[in-house]
Amino acid sequence: MKRISRRRMLRGTLFGGTVAIGLPMLDAMMPRRSSAQDGAAPKRIVFWFTANGTRQDVWSPPASMDLSGHPMHASLAPFSQKLLFLDGVDQDVAYDSIGDGHQTGMACLLTNAEILPGDLFCEGSCDGATPLYVGWGGGQSVDQYLADEIAKDVVTKFRSLEFGVQVRSSSVWSRMSYTGPDQPVPHREDPNQNFNDLFGDLDTDPFELALIRKRRRSVLDAVMADHEAFNKTLGSEDKQMLDKHLQSIRDLETRLDAAGVLGEACQEPTVVLPGSSYQQNDQYPVTGRAQMDMLVMALACDMTRVASIQWSRSVSNVQHNWVPLRLGEGHHDLSHYDDNTSDAQADLLEINKWYSEQFAYMLGLMDGIQEGDNTLLDNSVVVWVNELGKGNSHARRDIPFMLAGGAQGYFNTGRHIDFGGESHGKLLVSLTHAMDKPVSTFGVPQYSQGPLSGLT
Amino acid sequence: MRSGTITRGFAALVLLGAAPASGCNGVIGSGGDPGGGTVNDRVAAELCVVDTPIRRLTRFEYNNTVRDLLGDNSNPADVLPPEEEVAGFNNQAGALTTSDLLVEQYLKVAESVSARAIGNMDALMEGCDPASQGSDACALSFIERWGRRAYRRPLEQEEVDRLQDVFDWALTDPDLGTFEDGIQILIEVMLQSPSFIYRPEYGSDTPVEGDVVPFTSWEMATKLSYMLWNTMPDDELFQAAENDVLLTGEEIAAQAARMLEDDRAKDTIRNFHKQWLLLTQLDSLTKDTSVYPAYNAGLRPLWEEEIQTFIEDVILRGDGSLETLLTADYSFMNEELANFYGDDVLDPVTGTELQRVQLDPTRRAGFLTSAALMATHANLNQSSPVFRGKFVREQLMCNTLPLPPNDLVIEPPELDPNKTTKEQFEEIGADPSCASCHSLMNPIGFIFEHYDGVGQWRDQQNGKDIDAVGEVVQTEDIDGTYDGAIELARALAGSTQVQECVSSQWFRFAYNRSVTPVDTCSIEQINERFAASNFNIRELLVALTQTNAFLYRRAVDVGQGGAQ
Repeated sequence: MKRISRRRMLRGTLFGGTVAIGLPMLDAMMPRRSSAQDGAAPKRIVFWFTANGTRQDVWSPPASMDLSGHPMHASLAPFSQKLLFLDGVDQDVAYDSIGDGHQTGMACLLTNAEILPGDLFCEGSCDGATPLYVGWGGGQSVDQYLADEIAKDVVTKFRSLEFGVQVRSSSVWSRMSYTGPDQPVPHREDPNQNFNDLFGDLDTDPFELALIRKRRRSVLDAVMADHEAFNKTLGSEDKQMLDKHLQSIRDLETRLDAAGVLGEACQEPTVVLPGSSYQQNDQYPVTGRAQMDMLVMALACDMTRVASIQWSRSVSNVQHNWVPLRLGEGHHDLSHYDDNTSDAQADLLEINKWYSEQFAYMLGLMDGIQEGDNTLLDNSVVVWVNELGKGNSHARRDIPFMLAGGAQGYFNTGRHIDFGGESHGKLLVSLTHAMDKPVSTFGVPQYSQGPLSGLT
Repeated sequence: MRSGTITRGFAALVLLGAAPASGCNGVIGSGGDPGGGTVNDRVAAELCVVDTPIRRLTRFEYNNTVRDLLGDNSNPADVLPPEEEVAGFNNQAGALTTSDLLVEQYLKVAESVSARAIGNMDALMEGCDPASQGSDACALSFIERWGRRAYRRPLEQEEVDRLQDVFDWALTDPDLGTFEDGIQILIEVMLQSPSFIYRPEYGSDTPVEGDVVPFTSWEMATKLSYMLWNTMPDDELFQAAENDVLLTGEEIAAQAARMLEDDRAKDTIRNFHKQWLLLTQLDSLTKDTSVYPAYNAGLRPLWEEEIQTFIEDVILRGDGSLETLLTADYSFMNEELANFYGDDVLDPVTGTELQRVQLDPTRRAGFLTSAALMATHANLNQSSPVFRGKFVREQLMCNTLPLPPNDLVIEPPELDPNKTTKEQFEEIGADPSCASCHSLMNPIGFIFEHYDGVGQWRDQQNGKDIDAVGEVVQTEDIDGTYDGAIELARALAGSTQVQECVSSQWFRFAYNRSVTPVDTCSIEQINERFAASNFNIRELLVALTQTNAFLYRRAVDVGQGGAQ
């Protein structure tokens, strides 16, 4: 296979900075733009999920926002002026919805919609005589809404990127992104595969890349023709599913040309890959770090503008053996002890502190990438979400929401706001405004009347 | 038996609308309100015909299929997103969703598989030489011959035409151009065809009654092979389809019996038991080696191989009975595993190969007491009566236990060096707020107390004799007090509730869907045959090919779906 080194590349301009562009530059490698102004770096949004609630008694920052001595968030101290801590934001819709605490916490989190009825997943209180089952989440999630809207302006290599760290299963407990009601989005969980999918092209000779794309387009054309004939033979429910499959092929073909857009800092990332053991408990930190490294580089390369990284899943029972634990049990088991079991509470603090350190690591990567006058972090909003507020009560109130970055100054960061019981749907509305795709309500209107006040 | 006549065995039952909630399936889904709907709906319900949504190959089935189609053993589908797990299994047709990521990976898998495939052109061409016979002729014969195996049916002329166009394009493209390029592109396209990825079923054109139609022989060949082998049909099934002799219950039963003699049945047996017996959890097991010095992570695959080899031996080579699965006094071990089980193994074992060994019948009973199960349903550093009781209740008796109330704070007992595990859990279980549910689980778990947290036999714990007496309550037919797992295993083997639970688990796995009210008659028919065979799993699998639910579907109504 012919390859040229990335070092032999010409420099041009994109997003107001210098970029390396393969020689010869192909028209096909430039993104199509409409709303994004030439020269301006785009806004990005990243959702960051951790499970089982937090230590709500420790979570908040001090009034000074000096985090250096904070028991949970000390590692976030360098970014404190780029953070927004939101206290008192509740998942109200989760209390209306069918489903158990974790199911609703997860499926309503980014949708602000109730879970659909269905016969797929057993809700807590099932028994043989009166089974209670639920289906998937009941609405489009805000990340997928934004991905759809942004796709109208620009074709990026990926419509959105959903990274998982040992999510492992596929169920209503493990999916927070939905392209629509009943349409969960799976995660990219294998860092080795991700490396190829995301960065395999960067190393390839542009001529060869063009050939690969031409070939793929022709193959996909043939596959689509086959699908169209096939789908006409189906009954309505099967056809619905197969039409969605076909739509994904069309979308894939549209995005073939978008591959290879290079930002200034865009290069093959240096990643420590966990190999085939990426699903093993003890590889969780290595897998997580590899995913963060690649996600940030994908943003720097403008491969997508909407991304998420989900650590495990709701009811995560990961054993965080790499932090000092007293009881040494899985995360979910620990989260069920009462507030007075000091060993369990100490372990939960250690676990959430570790996640805060991981968050700081990713923010650090993003803040280290300069895009014109801003950093990638400044141009983004990173949203830390959780399906619960507190594990032992399954409270979906006072969820530990944290925003980082500010989306090019949209959010007024460096603050801690206690909303005292606002609906989390309003936060989702705020995010659509931050990304310049504003809606007045998102999901259930009752719980999303406009954006949260005081964030901007 | 089929064409023209259709069994109306249990129609009365259905029409009564009686929905006996047998065990964990309960009766769920929208399969029907037999009283409502159209005339055709009522006819279908009377005949116990329930359609299954279109099935997509699972990663396991995809891997097996390219193995049989191309000799590709690389498990290329492992990179696809995991299947949705519903009702205990990952092959439930209605639950499998599609996504951008899935489609993107199908493209890449097809690229890598096709690139490897043309490494062996002789195998693909089967004697057609493009140099002497012409590339167009060889391409056409490849499309028709290989396409028939990939799509599991003869291709329509339009499909052949389209694929010929694809080949022509590849041959004239300045960047491709060779015959091999053309074949590779054809494989790439066909592997992404819905006819390969999905398993559509339409049935024949002639209804037997209402809109109920039998399947074609081609469809039946595919139904049988994916149900019993988790892969594509073999040459004999294809030949039977070609000859159109998969139409009667007898013909289908004969094929099913033949297929269970084939090695490929192992894949299905293992796949089922891996999910039913929750062996998937073995991968993430951790144990405290300060408590269990005999444990090391290398034992986990050995434990799994032991239980799977045993089950496979009973079902495919032994008497096939549920009783033997639950109570046998033999297993399969190598030297390392035999050393782990210690005195329980009565035969000398050397070497790394698993071999059949006699076990102490007072200590071990079938798969139930295997280290794989005992260690999985235990804690890091102690046995777990709760988990073991839950396993028996949910997996073997098809009870679905309530989760702890939303706001209940749970405090598992900590290790007390002066008490046995049973004593500690008895204290907890006595709490009235816990007792209502835990009385269903803990006493069953106590019966397994001779097996520690990694499944090794113990007579004592913390200096005290093990007390393995437990009382089983609220079952359909085995309430009582049992001392040790050997006694319990015998009771479970004779329990109608357990027997029907096993058949309903197989129903879900084999039919790729949950049980609906309309299935009551099929379930009864299956259970009767299972019982008549003295609960032989092989006979159960054959019985699953004999119900109206398996033999018929309703004609596809494209009216609503329509053309785009």
